Order: sequence, then C-alpha cells, then structure tokens
Amino acid sequence: MDYDLSRIDYGICGITYPDTLKILPPSGQKMEQKFAIGDKNGVLQCLSIKDEEPVVQFKTLPGKPITSVQLASSVGTQADKIFTASGNEVKGYTRKGKVFLSIETSLTETITSMYLHFRCIIGSDLILCSGRIVTYYRDLREYNSYICDDRVLDIAAFAVPNSTRVRLLVLIANKGAILLENGKLISRTTIPSGPSRLAVPPSTHVTDIIAFYGAGDGSIGIITYEELTLSSKCLVDGRGLGSVVCLGWYFNNGNYHLSVGRHDGSIQLYLVDMENFGEKPRLKYTYFCGEPVTSVVGGCVGTEESELLVATFSGRIFGLRSSHLVTGAKVPQDILATRRGKLEVEVARLEKQTANEREKYQRNTRSLHAGLSTPPLLDIQYELLGATNDGWQEVRITSAVPLDMLFINSNKKLAMQTDTAAVLSICSSKEAGPDLLASVRCQAGTRRVWVKMREISNSSTESKFEGSRVLIYALPAGAPRVARLVTLKLPALPYYSSHEALEKDFEKRERVWCQLEISGNFSVAEITSWLTEALPGELPRPASNVSFTRSHTLLDTILVCQYERGHATFKSDNVSTIATIRNIVSNCSVEKSIRVEMSCDIPDNCCLASFKQLEDKFKREYKKNKDIILKNAISMLDLDSSMNEEGPILCQDYATVWDSRDSINETQFEELVDIILQWYLDWRTLSLLENFNNESTKLKVALKECKVDDIIKILSKNVP
Amino acid sequence: MQLSTVQPVFKLELNHKITPDVVTIAKYDGTHPCLTASAGYDKIIIHHPHGGIASGRAQRSQAHGEVSELNLSQAVIALAAGPLRPDTGRDMLLIGSPTQILAYDVHDNTDLFFKEAPDGVNVITTGFFGKHTETLAIIGGNSSVQAIDWEGNEVFWNVVSGKVCAMITFDFDKDGENELLIGCDDSFIRVLKNNQFIAEIAETGPILCLSPVNEVRFAYGLANGTIGIYEEGIRLWRVKSKQNALALQWSGDTLACCWSNGRVDWREGTTGRVLRRVQMRANAAAMLLADYRSVGAPDLVCVSDKGEVLGYPPYQENTSFNAATKNMPSDEDRLAITELFNKKQALMVELQHYEANAASGSVSLDNLERPASAMPTNTRLQVAILHSPEEACLQLAVSTNNETVVRAALVLAEGIFESGETFIRHPQPSQLRSLLHVPLRPPRDVPVDVHIKALIGYPDSEQFHIFELTKQLPRFAMYQSFTKEVRNKGNSYVTFRITERVQRICIWVNQNFLLEEELNIESEETKELHVNLLCMRDQSYLYMDFAADGQVKFSTHDIRLAGDLIQSLAVYLNLTDLQSVAQFPEAEKKLREEMEHVSQIGEMRSRLAAETAERAQLITALLPAAQDAAAYDLREMLNRYKEVVMLNEELLTGCYIRRSTQEQAVASLKSLHTILQQAVRLRVGKYSKAVVAASRKAVQANNIEALIKIIQVGDSLVT
Repeated sequence: MDYDLSRIDYGICGITYPDTLKILPPSGQKMEQKFAIGDKNGVLQCLSIKDEEPVVQFKTLPGKPITSVQLASSVGTQADKIFTASGNEVKGYTRKGKVFLSIETSLTETITSMYLHFRCIIGSDLILCSGRIVTYYRDLREYNSYICDDRVLDIAAFAVPNSTRVRLLVLIANKGAILLENGKLISRTTIPSGPSRLAVPPSTHVTDIIAFYGAGDGSIGIITYEELTLSSKCLVDGRGLGSVVCLGWYFNNGNYHLSVGRHDGSIQLYLVDMENFGEKPRLKYTYFCGEPVTSVVGGCVGTEESELLVATFSGRIFGLRSSHLVTGAKVPQDILATRRGKLEVEVARLEKQTANEREKYQRNTRSLHAGLSTPPLLDIQYELLGATNDGWQEVRITSAVPLDMLFINSNKKLAMQTDTAAVLSICSSKEAGPDLLASVRCQAGTRRVWVKMREISNSSTESKFEGSRVLIYALPAGAPRVARLVTLKLPALPYYSSHEALEKDFEKRERVWCQLEISGNFSVAEITSWLTEALPGELPRPASNVSFTRSHTLLDTILVCQYERGHATFKSDNVSTIATIRNIVSNCSVEKSIRVEMSCDIPDNCCLASFKQLEDKFKREYKKNKDIILKNAISMLDLDSSMNEEGPILCQDYATVWDSRDSINETQFEELVDIILQWYLDWRTLSLLENFNNESTKLKVALKECKVDDIIKILSKNVP
Repeated sequence: MQLSTVQPVFKLELNHKITPDVVTIAKYDGTHPCLTASAGYDKIIIHHPHGGIASGRAQRSQAHGEVSELNLSQAVIALAAGPLRPDTGRDMLLIGSPTQILAYDVHDNTDLFFKEAPDGVNVITTGFFGKHTETLAIIGGNSSVQAIDWEGNEVFWNVVSGKVCAMITFDFDKDGENELLIGCDDSFIRVLKNNQFIAEIAETGPILCLSPVNEVRFAYGLANGTIGIYEEGIRLWRVKSKQNALALQWSGDTLACCWSNGRVDWREGTTGRVLRRVQMRANAAAMLLADYRSVGAPDLVCVSDKGEVLGYPPYQENTSFNAATKNMPSDEDRLAITELFNKKQALMVELQHYEANAASGSVSLDNLERPASAMPTNTRLQVAILHSPEEACLQLAVSTNNETVVRAALVLAEGIFESGETFIRHPQPSQLRSLLHVPLRPPRDVPVDVHIKALIGYPDSEQFHIFELTKQLPRFAMYQSFTKEVRNKGNSYVTFRITERVQRICIWVNQNFLLEEELNIESEETKELHVNLLCMRDQSYLYMDFAADGQVKFSTHDIRLAGDLIQSLAVYLNLTDLQSVAQFPEAEKKLREEMEHVSQIGEMRSRLAAETAERAQLITALLPAAQDAAAYDLREMLNRYKEVVMLNEELLTGCYIRRSTQEQAVASLKSLHTILQQAVRLRVGKYSKAVVAASRKAVQANNIEALIKIIQVGDSLVT
C-alpha cells in the first residue's frame, strides 16, 4: 500500500443512495470545492469545508427520497448546476440553492439514475432511467425512450462526432451493457460478473466510448466500443471483496485513480494508466470503514490538495486526506478543540432531548388511553444472492443502526453459515417439526452481516415442490427497540443464478433438450410469481412476452424460459430442473385454483446425454474425493513429528496428495452423485416408467464407485 | 477492528511441532529462561538460547541447534517448573504423565522424585500456598488436587467434584497467604484455603484457564469462548468469542489473550476493550510471560503449534500504531469527533423514532388500515414462572395485556439449555397468542439470570416491538412446594442442629425457592417449620423439617442436593462450622461398589502390566533372531517374522484392554471422589476438613466400613 490517508469526519446526514454525493467544480480563484449530497429524507445539502468544519451553503427542506444527484452546466460555463431526482421528479438548483428547474415526469417508477448532457450552443439533454426504461428528454420534452430487458443500473452518455446525437451506454441488471443511439440499440455485450456501476474516465474525448465498471462479484473491468462492437474486459478480480456500490475518480500527484466503494465497507484506490486503459489498475490504498460505502469522489474539499470524500449508507460524510496534511498542523489546535467542544454540547443536548422523549414514550405505556404507536420502519436493506457452485445462498443485511442479533426462522431445515463477526447458534425448536430456528449474535457495532444458507439434501427421491420461506428478524443493538421482519424465499433451484444471453451459442455442446409446455388461464405476472419459487435472483418484470436463459453454476446446464399470457415453455438439458418446475407450477396453480395443462417432452436419452456431458467433471470430482480421504488419513498419521526439510517420506501418489493438501479441501462429489441419481429418477417418473428400487440402488453403487461403464449401461436401458 | 501491524521483538523457529498447552518456561540454571515444551507424544524439547545444558538424558536435537530433546516412555500431559528444592534457586522440571509425576533436575541431570498419581494428572502448578514456606508442586487430577513438596511427600490432598482444568495460586481473600484457585470442567471456580473450600464461583462452562492479574483481580477463560476478569469475587466484565482462549496473561497493564486459532489480543483490564490484535501464522500452542531477552522485564512469549515462537514486549500505548502520529492532540480530537458523530447519529435515529411516534399518536385504534409497525402505546409485557410437573420443567409465561401477540420470544440464560445459551420460541402463525410459554430446565441448582426478549406486534406486522425483561431464578427453582401431610419421609436424610430463629430460616426459604406464595410465619411463637417439596427433574421428594429445638432434618434421596442445601443455608446463616449426621443408603451402596471396583481394577492392572512386559521381552528377543535368520534361511526368517507379528497383535490387544481398564479405573475413582466430595459438603468448616482428611486415610487403607462411617457421622474424632 502506497498512500497514507487518514480519516477526518465532516458530518452526518440521512441514509444515502449510491452516488448521491457530488463535488462541485471550483469557482473563481478559490481552489476549495463545495460538494452536494442528497439523502433519503429528501434533503439536498451543499456544503463547503473550512478548517475541517462543514459550512452549509444551502439546504433544502425534506421531501421524497433523493435517489440521484448529478451536476451539469448551463451553456458555456462549468458544471455547477445541481440536479436531483426523487420519485419521478427532477429538480435543478443553482450553486446558490435556487431552484431553476422542476419537472414532474410521467414515469411510473422511481428514477434510479440520470444523466445530463448539455451540448454547446443548443439546448440540453436529460436522460432518465427508471425501472427498465431509459427516457431521453431533449429540451425538457420527451424525445425517445427505450425499454430494456431488465432493470437499468447505470448510464453514461457520449457525444457522436460531428453530430448532435448522443450515444448512451446503459448497464442492465443480469445482462450486461448495451449501447443506444436515438432510442435504438446499436450494440450489446454480456458481462457475467454482474456490473453495477459505471465510471467514465475524465479528460477523455467525449466521443471515445470507454467506461470502467464495477461488478457485483467485486471485480472491476472496462467496457469499450471499438470498430462497431461493444466489448468488455475484466481488469481486477473480485477476490472475495464486496460488491462495488460506487465508483469515482481521484486525482493526485498527477495521476488518476479509480476510487471504489464497496458494500463490505472497504474503499480502494486503483492507479489507472490514462494512456492505456486496458492496463491492469494498480491497487494503491485500502480503507475499511465498517459500513457500505455509497459515494467516493475526489476533489479539493478541505485543503488545496485533493482528497477523497466518502459518504456511507447510514449517512456519514468523511474525508480521507494525505496524512502529511493531517499531521502538518495546518489546522490550529484550538479550532479542533472548539469543534469537539461544540459537538460535545450538541450531543449532550440531544441526549437530554432523547431522554425526555423516551420518558414520554414510556409514560404512554402506562396510560389507560391507548394510542397507536407507529414507529417508522428500521432502515434495513437486504439482498438474496443466487448460489454459486457450492450451493450456498447468501443473504446480505445492511442496517443503518448497529445490529444486536438476527433471529431466523425457516420452514425447512437449512444448513447455515455466517460472518466471522457473528456467532450463529441453531436452536432446538420445541415442536419437532421440520422448521428451524437460529440466532445470529453480532459483535458490537455490526451494521452489515451475511448469512449463508442451503437446504440440507435429505436424499429423498422426490424432487422439490416449493422453495423454503425464511423469516429474519433483525434486532438493533440500541434504540429504537423494534425488530424488523425480513421475509425471504429460498428458491427450489438455487443454482440457476447465472444469466445467459438468449442467443448464446448452445450448439457448441451437444445438448439434449427436455421441454415442458404449460398452457392455461394464467397471466404473465402469475407465472412470474410462481417462478420466484424456483429461480434465484430477480426475474424480468412482466411484459407481454418474456424470455430469458439461466445456466446452472455447478453443472453448466441451461434453462430457457419463454412465457406469455396463457402459455409457457421451459427448455432444459437437465431433466430434474424440468421436473422441479413442473411440480412447482402445478403446486402453485392448484393453490391459485387456476387450471393448467402441462405436457412434457422428455427424450429417452436425456440422462445418458447429460451424464456424458458431465462425465469428465464427475471423474475429476471422484478423484478429488478420494484424494481428500487419503489426505485425511495421512494427516492422521501425525507425520509432522518426524519433521524434516523434505517432509514425510511417502510413496509418490501419497506424496502428491500430501503436497497439494492445502488446495484440495472440498469436493462436490456427493452432490453430483445425488444429482445424477435424481436425473435418473425424474427421467423415469416423467417418462412414465416404473421406478425400480433395485435399479436405482445399483446406479447409486455404480456412481459411488465411479464405474462409468455400469452407469452408462443403467442409464442407457430403455433407450432405443 | 483490523489487525495491528505490531512487530514482535524476537522471533524464532523451534522446528518441532508443539502440543498445545504443554509448554513452560523455566530457569534450570537459576538465571537463564529456557522454553520447554512437549513435542509430540512422549518427547520434551528444551530450548536453551543462552548456552547449552549439561548433556545427560537430553539429546541435542537434529532439527535445531539450540534445542535438546528428552524422551520419556510415557505420554506427556502436563509440564511445570519451579524452584522446588529449598537449597538451590534452580527450577526443577515437573513432568506429568497419565498416571505418574516425575520431578527432574535438568541442570544436574538427576531425578528429584517419581510418584504414582492414581487420580491422573491434568495440570501441574508450582507456587507458595497457605502457610507453607517452601514452593509446592500442586497437581490437579481427575477429581482431586494434591500438593507435594520437593521430596515427593504429600502435603495435602482434597477432592474436587470435577476434572481439574486450570489452577493458580492466588491470594483470594487478601490475608497475605496464597489460596489455590481451581477451575473444573463442572463449570465452577473453587477457592481452596487451608485445605478447605472457602468460595465457589459458578461459571457457564468448563474453565480452561486462570491467570492472576493483580492483588485483587484474576482472569479466567472458558471452553465456550468466554473470557473475563474477576475482582474480589465479582465479575468485572466478560466477552465471548467463537474461539477458545488458550492462555491469558497480564502484560503491561493489559490482559493479553491467546486464542486457539493463533490470534492474540491485548485488552483493557477494566473493560475488556480490544486495544490491539495480532494473528500468528498457525494455531497457538501457548503464551507465557518470561524475560526471554534478559532485558529485565518479562515479554509475552507466544508459541504456535508449528513451533514458531514470537515475543512481544509489554503493551504500550504509542507502539500500537504509528508511534509518531498517535500522540498528537489533534488526532485525539479527530478520533473524539468521529466518536461523537457516532453518538449523535445513534441519538438522531432514536429521536426520529419517537418523533414519528408522536406524529402518528392521533391515529385511533379502530383504524382499519393499520400500518405494518403499529402497536397500542399502552402495551405491557408480563412474565411469570410456573412449575409444570407434567412436563418436568419450569414454564416461563410471557404475555401481553391486550390483543397484540407474542410473535417470538428469545430467552438468554447460561447453562440452562443444551444447545448454547439461547432458546427461541417462534409459534406457527396459526398458534399466535398473546401468551407464550417457554420451558426452562435448569440442570443444576444455581441461581440463574434469565433475560427475555419478546417480539410483540400484530400477527401481520412487518416490524415488532422488542420488550426486554430480566428474571432471576432462585437457586432451588426446580422444587415445587405442596402442602399434603406426609408420614413416610424415606430413609435418606441428613440432620444437624442450628440455633437460629425460624423466622430467618423462613426468609432463606423464600429467597432460595420458587414458591407459589411466600412462606409466612403466623406468629412470633411459631418455632417449627416444615416444607414439603417436589423436584421437577426426577419427581422425587424433598422434606425440610426445622424442629423447635433447633434440630434440622433434610430428607431427600439425593446426597448432592442435601449438600447444596446445607452449604446455601450455612452461607446465609453465616455458620463457620457445622457437623451433621447423614443417612444416604444409595450413596453408601454406590461407594461400596466403587471401592470394590477400584481394588479389582488395581489387581487386574498389575497382572496385565506383567503380561505386557513379558511379551515385549519376547519380541525384543525374536526380532534380532529373525533378522539373523535372513542371512541363512529365508523360510526360518518368515516363520520368525510371523511369530513377531502374532506377538505384536497380542501386545496390541493387551494394550487395548489396559487402556479400557485404565479408563474404568479413572471413572470409578472419579465417582468415588464425587461421593466423598458430597459427603464433605454435608459439613461446614473444620468438620468438612476433617472429613477430607479421614476419608483420604480410609481410601488409602482401603477401609470401606470406615468410609461409610465417615459419610454417616463425619469424622467424630475431631472435637
């Protein structure tokens, strides 16, 4: 780590959404810049920093939550106009705080991001994203719009050379990025890591379409448009870092740095080579602030030297300054002391006020006249992620107040894991039912916690009929003494979390498709809600005709869903997937008392074909499984007591296992055995063949011992 | 909190695997400390950086130049060292193996003594104890403690009710003499003074480590990951971790704690706040205090199980982070400002909560559109504890005073639930009521604080109000009173005589039992008190009769319960001495069986040992013969090897048998000691001490009848 920055706290505001803090360009002679921040209470503040103390330039009244803040310039000047989006409204403020623009759009959903593009000489462009729609306003009139396949996450605009047109680079949830021009798609690319934020390098030509992205899995990459194709490249791997919430730029020592704020509370600075963007950015600095970071931007806020300004989810605003500036005693000691004193007085006053209110509140509980207490909902965000190849599904919970404990109830038995900062204990339930109770006790000051869950495979031969319902009660450590209930649904097919392009070239692999056709009197919304029982992550919003493709993260099998009102088609090369969807749809439709017709088309050789696809992986996992058993046996021998330089003396096979003991840890062999067995059983069920018990036992034995010929023999019975 | 970047002041590799917790540092020549550890089953390594030790039994290690190896024929369970011999200042090494203890003078290469320890050896400590002027070696066994002097003579012996896991000598009552603090796996810390237990601190898990802090404080660590500090018998703080604490040391006014996963943290002595934290590269094996660099102040010596040794100097404020920037007053201000913002933020959230409350205060109850977080303002939570003989437990009834429901109840109490310390009730949506029962089954008779967090709201709420309550369960909460007149009170009882007004006893009963209605003495004249109780655990009866003449009779079949009652009463009435007469046929019968068992096993053990020795001899003869045969006759060689293999198998079977008899012997001894301990607890003060001494004598003489007599009447020889 090269840089040494230290934290200076400036102030607090309400809960902030990603990228709602912006630094205004310097005005006039002064180097010091002001910044604007909008929060969930709808308050937009413009602040400047004098001697580490924030000075309010202007502050608006509370209103609808501010979801986006952007800067733009009027003709010919610097970008010093502040625009805020809240709900479906857009407001524009001058740097003095005067509202000069206020429009209410006809959008039905909250504006999630916006972009303002002011062309020289003529008028201005405003681009708003809400839900799946990108709307383009020219001179405040709707010009065109485009409906994307999924939610729009972020957007960037680029000018087209020698033209007044604008090209838009749009990040779409679960899909990747597309490039729009004039409301028409001109190019698209898929990015499997799930990008969430864009950052356009400063000081490039506005015509070069190039942008960095930060992704849900923590990785950072670049999107470029060259020779009429949009392409992406991953530059920095996630390596266990939290998902990227915001990106910014930080200029220091003549170098540009990409600043990254993550959900796990870490902030990184990467040095970017401005001459060659494809070069891997170098990590220069990391800071850990303990709660999700919503904005990181660089600018000369406090001093004449550039510093990093950070806003967090719960509304803390602080700067990261070079240490030599902090210790360089630029700020007189007494100013700091008075600031501290002022704060102390304020906190004391607040304490008193709170104590008063608390007493009033408690007095109410003893009064005979019953009012109704309706405290606001705790600010808790949660997110359920789809399973990666180990089958665990992760729930992330973020709270504005420190959490004391989570209390989890599920209607099925689940295996669970949690953060290192928390203690998980599974409690015995009094009723000997299938439900599960668990508590997660958090360390002091925990504001974000994850819990991983997976269903315990109970080796039953039935495929699943429903997902599991999980209730999480989040109990804060201090006041207010209320517990928020979070209800989650764990899908029955958690592995289908990876999104694929529809037109993906499936023919690379010889796939044998099983197909399920459903028709009946159901709406698209209904079938979408049924599918939430089965599939992880967000499903596309109901439209007249929906189609999407997911792939299995462990087996790499594909599920293609296509549905419209009254008719749905599911295609997969995994027979169990089809069986599960069939069960779930029939279950849900019965519940809703909707009649549906279902027909399956299961090829006779589907199991065999699927197994052949998997054969190599299966063999590999079998070997790995054996190695692990061997490794455990060797470690039990306590060979280290004869420790010498070369390690224990073993025969070659054993020595290879022993040498790679750290790398072989877990295997999915057992899981694969279960999956293949399930294929076989589902195939027999769906093909209306009788299930012979001894046949499946034989298969199980063959699978456990990895007798490939036997397996193929059993699977290819009944195959003409 | 991130890991601190503090660097160790010294670092060395022993190139040996270290068995966790079997490590000590001793000055074998009187001046230079040497790290001594068990490296594997029966090997002891001694690290002597300050010049070699006299070659003797110890051999120079191949793996490391400054390490000597010492091989024993037995497993090494515990190591300790101390200046036992009064004539030299040199430390003697004490090696504990499963059944023996060996004192070895490393410097002179002589054995000091060698002693059988039939109770097993779990921990050894050395130090001054009580009025004894010389350093004693104190050995904690499976259910006993024993102190021996430098010649191997027994100084005292006492029974403890559990396996001894940790021991320190510590001046608990500040009288200038050391007491012995004993941590057992039955979750008690006991204080032994003058061969008599003077205090007992109930903890929530097996005690793994104890460490003195200063004159009045000591630190403790439990197997459930808790560590904490006691000051004069009162807990100052405790914190819980997922890991187990391996060692605690007081270093530089901070409590250094070494966790089994190799993390070491320094904590503030008064609050337990973590000041800094480091992580070793492997799991930890030990952490000791020693002046290993010879600089005059002890360093913290951390040893990992891979043999890495790291030394840290005593904690100092400015070495924790950047020495230069830390002490700047402006930094202090900035940190304070950050902290103040934290506070302000929390207060603002709370205030917002109340404000929103006040704003919606006018909403009437009849409003059909109820917000997802609503609740009547005058909702209260009531908690009661009931006996439930049908389900053999206590029922904690949690209820609200209106139509809101108890959505869930979390009960936090330590040592009550089998699965950890929380118990949750979360009724099915169809069974939501405003009343919820939580079953409690305290397994032992200690007072417990039960913390209840109840989530209250409407069945369809999205947010629930948390109600928190704490309820104290009295010590004997599992006993329900009944008023029926009983004639036959069983033949198990203990009687004693006290001179105390029955009114005071009445207060004791009310304090320590959970009675449906408080016991009241009708008039001043009442001299007698009879209480009939039913135990929820096994539906057995307990009768307490306090007669007018001061004669007290507790009738119960459970000798342990009788002891608990007497101890509790003695503490309450401040009795220094109490003699009693007991009749517990069950315990006596068990005692006879165990004594029988122990002596049988003893015989069997010596026979087996002889057999094993014989076979081992044979093998040592056969093996070279087989090797010789290889030179002239291959068939002959094969035959001989076959014999060796056969013998070897026999030896192995013999070994299994020996092991299981050993286990049996340990178990028998343990239950024998438990009964004796319970007999001790029927008396108080000098009488209980006399029982210990007499029963020790009787056990050694294998005199069952005398033992029974002791249980019944105590040691009547003491007057």
